[in-house]
Amino acid sequence: MTFAVGLNHFLLLGAFLFVCGAVCMATKRNAIGILMGVELVLNAATINFVAYAHYNPIFQVEGQVFALFVIVLAAAEAAIALAIVLNFYNNHTTVDVDTAEELKG
Amino acid sequence: MMNLLLLFGEHPGWFFVVATLLPLLSFVLILLASALWCAGRAYRNTPGGAALFNLCGGEERGRTAAFVATGAIALAFVFSLVGCIRFSVQQHSFETAIKQHEKALHEFAQKLKEAKGEAKEELEAKAKSEKEKLEDQEKRWADARKTYWQGHFDWLRISPKGIADADSGTVLQLGFKIDSLSAIMFVMVTFIATLIHVFSIGYMSDELQPEVEDHQVHTAHGHLHRRGRFGRFFMYLSLFCFSMLNLVLADNLFQVFLSWELVGVCSYLLIGFYNERQSASNAANKAFITNRIGDAGFILGMLILWTHVGTFNMEELFQRVRAPLNDTHGAVEGVAGRIVRGNLDPNNTTKAGQRFTIANDGSDVLLFPHRPPEHYHAIVPRVAENPKPDQHGSMPYWMLVAAGLGIFLGCVGKSAQFPLQVWLPDAMEGPTPVSALIHAATMVAAGVYLVGRCYPLFTYDALLVIAYTGGITLFVAATIAVVMTDIKKVLAYSTVSQLGYMMLALGVGGWVAGLFHLVTHAFFKALLFLGSGSVIHGCHHEQEMTKMGGLFPKMKITALTMLAGVLAISGIPLFTGWYSKDAILAQAFGFIYVHPQHLLLFLLPLATAGITAFYMSRMWLMTFTGKPRDEHVHEHAHESPWPMTVPLIVLGICSVGIAWGWPLWDAEASFLEANVHHAQYPAVLADFGHIDYSLSEHHGEYWVAAKDEAQNERVFAYRNHHLAGNIAFVLVAIGIVFAGAIYWKRVLDPAEAKEQFPRLHAFLMDKWRFDRLYSAVFVRPCLIVGHWFAAFDLRAIDGVIHAVARSAMWVSKWDGLFDHHIIDGVVNLVGNTIYGVGARLRSVQTGFLRSYVLFLVLAAAGIFLALAYFVRMAMAG
Amino acid sequence: MDTLNDILFYVLMATTCICALAVVLTQNIVRAAAWLLFTLAGVSGLFFLLGAEFVGSTQLLVYVGGTLVLVVFGVMLTAQGPFVNMRIGAAEWAIALAVGLVLYGVLSASLIISKPPQSDLNRHVDATMPDSSVLGASLLGQGQASPTGFLTGMPPAMRRERKPMAYLLPFEIVSVHLLVVLIGAAYLARAKRRRAV
Repeated sequence: MTFAVGLNHFLLLGAFLFVCGAVCMATKRNAIGILMGVELVLNAATINFVAYAHYNPIFQVEGQVFALFVIVLAAAEAAIALAIVLNFYNNHTTVDVDTAEELKG
Repeated sequence: MMNLLLLFGEHPGWFFVVATLLPLLSFVLILLASALWCAGRAYRNTPGGAALFNLCGGEERGRTAAFVATGAIALAFVFSLVGCIRFSVQQHSFETAIKQHEKALHEFAQKLKEAKGEAKEELEAKAKSEKEKLEDQEKRWADARKTYWQGHFDWLRISPKGIADADSGTVLQLGFKIDSLSAIMFVMVTFIATLIHVFSIGYMSDELQPEVEDHQVHTAHGHLHRRGRFGRFFMYLSLFCFSMLNLVLADNLFQVFLSWELVGVCSYLLIGFYNERQSASNAANKAFITNRIGDAGFILGMLILWTHVGTFNMEELFQRVRAPLNDTHGAVEGVAGRIVRGNLDPNNTTKAGQRFTIANDGSDVLLFPHRPPEHYHAIVPRVAENPKPDQHGSMPYWMLVAAGLGIFLGCVGKSAQFPLQVWLPDAMEGPTPVSALIHAATMVAAGVYLVGRCYPLFTYDALLVIAYTGGITLFVAATIAVVMTDIKKVLAYSTVSQLGYMMLALGVGGWVAGLFHLVTHAFFKALLFLGSGSVIHGCHHEQEMTKMGGLFPKMKITALTMLAGVLAISGIPLFTGWYSKDAILAQAFGFIYVHPQHLLLFLLPLATAGITAFYMSRMWLMTFTGKPRDEHVHEHAHESPWPMTVPLIVLGICSVGIAWGWPLWDAEASFLEANVHHAQYPAVLADFGHIDYSLSEHHGEYWVAAKDEAQNERVFAYRNHHLAGNIAFVLVAIGIVFAGAIYWKRVLDPAEAKEQFPRLHAFLMDKWRFDRLYSAVFVRPCLIVGHWFAAFDLRAIDGVIHAVARSAMWVSKWDGLFDHHIIDGVVNLVGNTIYGVGARLRSVQTGFLRSYVLFLVLAAAGIFLALAYFVRMAMAG
Repeated sequence: MDTLNDILFYVLMATTCICALAVVLTQNIVRAAAWLLFTLAGVSGLFFLLGAEFVGSTQLLVYVGGTLVLVVFGVMLTAQGPFVNMRIGAAEWAIALAVGLVLYGVLSASLIISKPPQSDLNRHVDATMPDSSVLGASLLGQGQASPTGFLTGMPPAMRRERKPMAYLLPFEIVSVHLLVVLIGAAYLARAKRRRAV
């Protein structure tokens, strides 16, 4: 068994980042903390794209292009999310997502 | 007024129409007044209502209704009398003239045989002018009858649309036709009805009280108390008279039927006048139902005639059924005035129709044209299938017999003949004046009158049935009358018996004798009934003769007038009954001389003549002579007031003298009979006269023209009138003497006879067990079948229905349970489950963002697992 | 060179993983932002390692320079006393970690058990990747940017030839998207205008 770095290493890293992001979202009460978890998840995806682009020449352009898209979308998402958070903060004077339970069934 | 008189001058037949309508007017007036009275009574406490109420008679309405009804019928009598006299005068003048011309012609014919040369030519010319005069007279008489004494208008015309021919539709007409018979009937009916009205004013005076106590009806609170029904009684009487007069007036069978039914209804109302009494209401029902049986036959007969002959008008019917009386070529010589039988030859058919071969026992009857040709050259034996008015038709012979028997069945019901005689004695439950009216002038007379009117429609077979029916009836009824002790029942059975005489007479060709007896009988039977009413009234409504006796000193007028009636009905010479009853016996005698196999038709009336005398004498003697049987009744007996005795006296006089002629002792000389004779149909002579009925001898003294005297029953009967009458008189005398011995002198004890023949007595008391027989054969089976049906209805049908209902209930119950538990259960289960799941899932929807993320992650893991699994499967696959 | 690349990879990977864990585990939001910064930087390092210089630099520019600054701004705007440290219960921690471990187990297991699809053209870590000019040309659809090849491990039906593709339209959509997002964000985040009643 070789320890040479391959595609699987990057994918495992991506998976780890993804799980970290997910757990971050699940454990942070602060809305901005959740936003950070989202960034982690998106980064995990970006890593996967780029790893594929690198190890699989038929994706060499597409992988990078989609990575770029993801980055851009993440930026947009962050902007939107921050705007929402600020609004939420204006309305509730808190950023505790646990207080945002109006949609409770 | 002048116009009215002119109208009567030009159309004297309207005398009779007005006489008919007067009782109807009275009926309507009383009905309206009663309606107003009822309307006013409801508001009698308000001023307007009180005025109306008092105007209509107030609480005690008095005799106004009686005066209106009596006035109407009396006026009708005056009109009838005037009309009758006018008719008789006109008829007499024409007939005399015709007879003279005929006599002259006859003489010329005699002279012509001997004359020669110029004298002969002269005679021939004279004979020719005489003949022209005769024809002229005859034509004028025929025209006069048509224009003066006949009339009709279309009452209902039902013609399908789109049919150009107006004759194809159904036309029901109202009309009148007067001949001497109907004229006499009119006078008789209105006269007797007037007297009965007057009598009723006295007899029904109890009903004048505002409250009447009916002693024969027991209620929980003692005797029944009801309002008096004086006005109602006279209202019914008026309607009754109208119906009867309309029946006599009618010129068509449909109008007859209408009146027929009205008569039935009125009899129902009057017999059931004391409708609170069970017996009265039963009797009314019995009369009505029994009459319905007869009427069913009447309707059938009418329908048969309508179907085959196509008209209800009696004259047209007769014209079609009977052969024409004369023709210029003697073609109808053998069959003139008769029903022509023969056979259709289906092999000999042309455009004009099938050939008709005349034969005495043929299966078909020739129907003569609606519009007869001017001269019959011969009976054209071609029969069209759908004959035009100027063509011959045919109908099956048995159909004509059936039609005749059907009409006769109607008459059997109305005239209470065997086997439908059972209703009449029960009809005694009505007030006595009603009994008198029914028995004398109206209802029962209607049957005999109709048989007489429809005589040309009866075939020989039908006539024989009529004769035997009459024969059986007269004997049966007379024997029952012998043992009856109720004074009204005796009279009832005597009526049945006398009606049997009339039917028998009509059946054996004694058309004149039968209808003559109808008229005379009306007088003495009305007298007897009113007399019995007087007795009952005097004895405080006691009808049992076994409680009477010795009443003569107390009610002399009643007793004497009734004696006249008894003698008349018994046939004592010079009383009316003698003329008519002997005529019947003579007719029967003549008939059995030619047809010896029908001997019974003479023996029955002969024996019954004796029995009649016996039971009538018995009735009179039991009532008026001897020692009183019941002191209590005797003590309180009294003579009736004048409104009751005056009619008795008048009727008594009529019973003695109405049939008189000149010379008085000549049985054939009765003026009344001669008048009835004018109306006799030529068909009667054609059937029973065996006469050459050609034109020249038609209006003459027809028995003179008989060719073969031995074959001429009528002639024979005339010759033997006195013989038959004498035999009958012997029997009558024996009967009277016998009755006198038993009930006056009391030489013989009737109780002994009763003990010696207990079975016979019981049999007769039981009215020959007819009621029992009918009860056993018709009523009880009907009831049993009815009970079966009721039981079937109750058990089977109701059971099935109940079972169905119950099973439906059961099913629906289970269905309900199923619905409730299973369907609702399933729906609820689904709902509840979803609700429960939702309720549980609710808790999943925490609203916490972070828990959502956790679920997302779990779902992602699940999706990965699933994908991995499916991809592996796909790869492996 | 392989060894250097491997070492670099492991170093960067460790940095990234530790920093990411730190982001998760730290309770202070300001610190978490700092840890995130290092995580993102580590990831961009990995991009550089993979030879995707353009993507890596974009990551640095946009993420580290843009997005993270935004986040920090957000933190600063809302970081009032009680919100900096908001703790959650131990049970929640346990559940979240368990779920996270399950997901990681599933993902890694699926990676290890089912081989990721490979093309027939394999490349080493040190191999050159197309530069930004190639990327730009491919965005415009000029020429075939990626070589033709086949993916392994896929069902035969999914095997298909690569065709030249233009990414200009998606790129434009993304840019417009961004514009809309930014305008929307500005609208949402603007100060509330009190209406004078």
